[in-house]
Parts: sequence; structure tokens; C-alpha cells
Amino acid sequence: MRDLVAAEWRKIWAGRAWWGAAAAAVLMCVMADAGFLQQEFASAPEPSDTREITSTLVQGWFMVELAAAVVAMVAVTREFGNGAISRSVLLSGGRGRLLAAKLIAVTGCGAVFALGAGVLAAASPWVFLAGRAQEPEWTATTTWTLLGVMLVIVVGAVWGALLGLLIRHQVAAILTLLISTWLVGEGLLRLLPEIGRLTIDEAMASVYRGGHEDLLSIPWALVVLAAWILAGTIAARTLFLRRDLP
Amino acid sequence: MTDVVDIVGLTKRYGELTAVEDVSFTVRSGRVVGLLGRNGAGKTTTLRMLLGLARPTSGRATVFGHPYAQLTRAAHRVGVSIDGIGPTGAGSAQTDLRIWAKTLGLSRTRVDEVLEQVGLAADGHRKLRDYSQGMRQRHALATALLADPELLILDEPANGLDPDGIRWLRELLRSLADEGRTVLVSSHILAEVEQMADDIVILQKTLRYSGTVADLTQNGGVSLESRFFDLVGPAVKENAHA
Repeated sequence: MRDLVAAEWRKIWAGRAWWGAAAAAVLMCVMADAGFLQQEFASAPEPSDTREITSTLVQGWFMVELAAAVVAMVAVTREFGNGAISRSVLLSGGRGRLLAAKLIAVTGCGAVFALGAGVLAAASPWVFLAGRAQEPEWTATTTWTLLGVMLVIVVGAVWGALLGLLIRHQVAAILTLLISTWLVGEGLLRLLPEIGRLTIDEAMASVYRGGHEDLLSIPWALVVLAAWILAGTIAARTLFLRRDLP
Repeated sequence: MTDVVDIVGLTKRYGELTAVEDVSFTVRSGRVVGLLGRNGAGKTTTLRMLLGLARPTSGRATVFGHPYAQLTRAAHRVGVSIDGIGPTGAGSAQTDLRIWAKTLGLSRTRVDEVLEQVGLAADGHRKLRDYSQGMRQRHALATALLADPELLILDEPANGLDPDGIRWLRELLRSLADEGRTVLVSSHILAEVEQMADDIVILQKTLRYSGTVADLTQNGGVSLESRFFDLVGPAVKENAHA
């Protein structure tokens, strides 16, 4: 099993998809943090509490979750696209074993993204507040925000892989991920908050303290995230074991 | 000689379309078996069902007495190159093979050995996308040979090979059979199959022939091509799905 996981790990990092997605995510996070600070200092002569600013700058790195999800999704769907999934199944000792190895490898991939984002997020208050009158103030809330950001990045990678296994087609899978992330969760939260807050994206927002008043409490959000991952795993496993391969 | 492959009453339907119907044949140990049929005759579908990549509508297919998915160390005993199974997209041929070798728990030196065996030792560092069709075929064959398998299942391995490559492939497959391995190879190139195969299976959705080349050609009295067209009948336009 160790060799199989190692092989799946290598497949994820093969090609250029991962660094393209990672670079895009870093750019988005930097722009979001810079935009937030600009707005913060422009809107009021006396900016908010520096503790709040520090936590918000850290929170901005949650967008790396999308990159981790895309990288995991591309790694899975690429195999369906080029037919390598059949060889993976043939050489891995069974579909169930391969699925387990893939999920372990994408969890590791998510952890790498989470660690990278964690380092950058932790450094970002000092970088963005450099040269300003305010000094970053790191609090327990900031620590929990950082841990929440890192957790949702790992969950995002697993969710991306599960969607890839379910949909199989790369473009369709990425579109589904982007639409569900940008439109469905947020839209449902506005129209039907009781349902919207149960979507995986809004449960993630709860975990990294997204700040919306309709969101779930963190413990309940963790339960909802676990339920989504469990449901996704069961659905992906069922389809992967039963459906013909390309 | 024992049966390495045993296919019994295999049928595959995609909705209204029947790709393979009630096909039964065996492959004996140490033989080179040519699987012949027109496009859409069900050759690839049959091989995919044999390997558990597609689920049969009915019937069963076993390798070394077991369904592939239940065969112990299946990946080490069966090497596969089938149309539609591509490389990982890892860049170079060597990187791709190293990933598969890792999956199998094999060392990197084995990658160098198979690259040498298929004549790609000098080109292993090159990107797969820069490979010619013939080089890709050799690469696919290298992947199939990685685990030094007892049974090789090859789907149209001569496609894209130049005349030298076709002769090289024939000699390679014969030498593998001489070592006691079994080769099940599908092909369109009847003359090639006639030269390399011991046994022939002819499919045209249903089984049309399964037996020795000698029996089929009456010990060379009739050409394989002539017998093939006698058995599969005239070409008709139909939906191909295989």
C-alpha cells in the first residue's frame, strides 16, 4: 500500500497544474488582503482593532482551498481523460485499494497546501502592515482562524478528488466546483439561510470564521463537513467500484 | 498445457447495442494467440471484460483460474497494453514508467531494463507528447513488460510501427512465448498474425473461430486472410462499439 500511495502522490505533482493553481491562489489571496487593507484604511480615519485586522488578513488565505481542490480534482480527472485510470486499477490490486490510496495521497496534497498557506497566512499580517502605524496583534482567535483555514484546505483537496471521481470529466468537474463554490453556497445562504449554511462551502466558511451571521457554529460546521466528505466518499466509492472504466 | 485465459458465454450490451455476444474461448499456456476481428467486432471489449475494466452483461472471464480482480498478484502476472489506456501524463517516458514501477513496488533499474528491451533507452528522457505513434506503442509495451509478466495482453500493438518495428515486435513476442510466457494479441494485420501466432480467435461480435493457425489454414494450404473473410462474412455498415 505504501508504494501505491507513493505512486499516487507522484501523479499529483506530475505536470504543471499544481504550481499554476498554487500561484493563482497566492495571487488571489495577496490581492484580497491588499484590497481589504486598502478598504479598511480608506473607509475610516481610525481603522478597526488591529487584532481584527490581523485575523482578517490570516483568514484571507482560505482561498487556497480552491487551489487544493482543483489540483486534487485535476489529478483524478486527468487519469480518466487519458485512460491511465484503467492501468492504475490493473496495477493497484483492486479498485477499492486504489481509491483508498488516492484519497490518502490527496489528503497529503491538501496538507502540503495547508502548510504552505499556513506559513504565508501567518506571515501576512507582518508583511501587509509593514510600514504602517499599526502592529499586528496575534490572538487566540487568530490562531483558531489560521487552523480553520488550514483544515478547510485539506478538506477542499479531498472534496475536489471526490467530485473528480464522481464526475470523471475534467472541465465538467472544475465547472461544478467553481459554480458550487461561488454561486450555490452563497446564493442559498442569502435565499434560504437554513439550507445554505448546510452546504459544504458555507460549512467551510464557518470553520475559518467567515463572519456571516447565518453560518453554523464551528462544532456543527465540522459535523456538516464530515457528513459531506462521508457522503462523497460513499458515492464515489460506489460508482468507482461499479462503473465501467474508460 | 493449462488454460491461462478462460472465457465462457461472455456478452456485453450497451443498451440496445450488442458489442459481444456469447463468446467462449480459452488461451493455453505458452502460446501466442491472435485475436482477430474487424473494427467494432468486440476485441477490445472482450479484453476489457477479461481484465475487469468493463462488467459483462453475462458470462464470465478468468485469468489463471480467477477473475482478474480476485487474482493474487495479478499486476505482476499479467501485463497489459490496450487501446485507450494511456500514460499518466507525467512528462517523460521514464517518469511515467517510474510511477508505474512504484505502483508495482519495482525498482528504477527495472524501468531502464524495459526501456532497453523495447528500444527506447536513448529516448526515455523525452516527453511522451513528442513521441511518434510507433514510439508510443513501444512505450505502452514497456509498461506492460514492467512486472516481467507470465501473460501479456496486447491490443493492436503493431499500430503505428514501421516495418522494422513490426518485425521487431514479432520477434519479441515469439521470444517471450519461447520463454514460456503466453501472449494474447489482437491485431488487424492478418499476415503478421499468421507469422507469429500459434492459435487464432476470430470475433465478429460472436465467436467465429477458435483453434490453431494450422487447422484454420489447413497447414498453410489456404491463407489466413482468405479464411478470415470466409468466417466473418462480408463487411456491412453498422454501429461500431468496441
